[in-house]
Amino acid sequence: MAVLTIKNLAKTFNVGTPRASRVLDDISFDVRGGTFVSIVGPSGCGKSTLLNIISGVEEHTSGDISLTSDSGGPARMGYVFQDPRLLPWRSVMKNMMYVQNDRSEATVGRCRKYLEMVGLTKNADFFPGQLSGGMQQRVGIARAFAVEPDLLLMDEPFSHLDAITARGLRAQLQDIWAQSKKTVVFVTHDVVEAVELSDRIIVLQPGGRIFEDITIDLPRPRRQTDPTVATLQAEVLGRLETMKAMARTPEAVA
Amino acid sequence: MSTTMTPVKARRSTSEKEKATPAWQKTLTSDRAARVAALLSFFLFWVVISALFARVPGPVEVVQRLVDEFSRGEVFGNFGSTLYRFGVGVALATVVGIAVGVIMGLSQLGRAFFESPVLVALSIPAIIWSFLTVMWFGFGDLSPIITTFLTSVPFVIVNVAQGVRGVSRDLRDMSTTYKVPLSRRIKDLVLPAVTGYVAAGIRFAIIIGWNGVLLAEWFGGGGGVGYRARWWYDANRFGGFAAWVVLFVGFIVLLDRFVLDRVIQRAFRWRDASA
Repeated sequence: MAVLTIKNLAKTFNVGTPRASRVLDDISFDVRGGTFVSIVGPSGCGKSTLLNIISGVEEHTSGDISLTSDSGGPARMGYVFQDPRLLPWRSVMKNMMYVQNDRSEATVGRCRKYLEMVGLTKNADFFPGQLSGGMQQRVGIARAFAVEPDLLLMDEPFSHLDAITARGLRAQLQDIWAQSKKTVVFVTHDVVEAVELSDRIIVLQPGGRIFEDITIDLPRPRRQTDPTVATLQAEVLGRLETMKAMARTPEAVA
Repeated sequence: MSTTMTPVKARRSTSEKEKATPAWQKTLTSDRAARVAALLSFFLFWVVISALFARVPGPVEVVQRLVDEFSRGEVFGNFGSTLYRFGVGVALATVVGIAVGVIMGLSQLGRAFFESPVLVALSIPAIIWSFLTVMWFGFGDLSPIITTFLTSVPFVIVNVAQGVRGVSRDLRDMSTTYKVPLSRRIKDLVLPAVTGYVAAGIRFAIIIGWNGVLLAEWFGGGGGVGYRARWWYDANRFGGFAAWVVLFVGFIVLLDRFVLDRVIQRAFRWRDASA
């Protein structure tokens, strides 16, 4: 069953003004429950705007979005941002609890469970400023999973981290996802990262249209060093190069 | 051919510099020394001015008058009355100021509604409010309380509204995404983010409010520090007048240093922990 369905979605900034610019155009896709979908594309193709529209922070100009939940109630969303976005004056545990629906023992236990999964049990009472950037981002990931979301949105969550920390967090994310099987929409400009993590990659092209929808049918857990992963990464990169070449020669698209 | 290497002089680390600084030098260059120096300079200035001008009472005379007032039993009753009026007025200004400031900061409509009245209130001096409240409410507790409230509340509102408008957009978006209820957003996001602004607003409220309470008591009678100060002023005894001013100013300084400062330090302990 599809958790997220998007039909003919478009977004234009500054509508009705001379500065109007269309960033997303005729976007249609759906995301089935329990899948990990990545959205890749060059800078400025509308990836983050699409995620903000799905999350409700941004409004779309036309088209339809529908979210369904297993419970039948309103769909619950988790969001891991590029930066951790933690309340600096609240402890790690209080940051986790800030976004929860209730204060029950079960909820506290769930928060502790996800903190343990990201290896931060001992830091529950720390303020965010006492943690490194990587640790703060792990809190952001634990917070997003702890709300038990129907849909988890991730916007380039490792882009601000150094390569070694990012690699460790990617591995940790794969482990948590394998256990929780949440539905994830993951935005990245890093094709290598997308192939390592995803079941499916949606490629956006400049102008905000879908260029290609690629299924990644590889066994998990995946590591970048696996030859099959590396081969597929090279193939997807090749397709992106083709897209860029087509964008440079408009007559070829026409 | 041989070359002679000149040894490079090693730069000292901060801990080495710290160890090398003598204790007396550290004491003399400390913040506490600067505060003590400021107090001593002021005291010295007061002594010199009072020696030069007969109509400026010196420290000894002021202390003498203060002791007289204590022995007459005038201090506790009058000081207690003023403190009660001042405390109620400032507390009201803080509560109302935070509420209105949060509304003005969060809502465009709220801002449009309150902006002009707050601007008008800011421009009305304490002396005008004290005349008006004495005319409206007579010679009781209500005039000084309302004067304190009216003179100080706009400063709290302006500070809090400015703080709320400055709350991180990223954190607000995060709260929207997670559908955090408004009450929790105000408690956990907005209020802690504006603590510094609230503290600045309360400081203003205290400084401006005490003008208000003293003026209302000065014109309205009914006991209190302002009333006693005027009593000595009318008697042409400036020592008594200055004694009451010194008493109240001293109290405000102590309140600021030992209560407000500590509350602010506690509110910002997360910042110290992060440093």
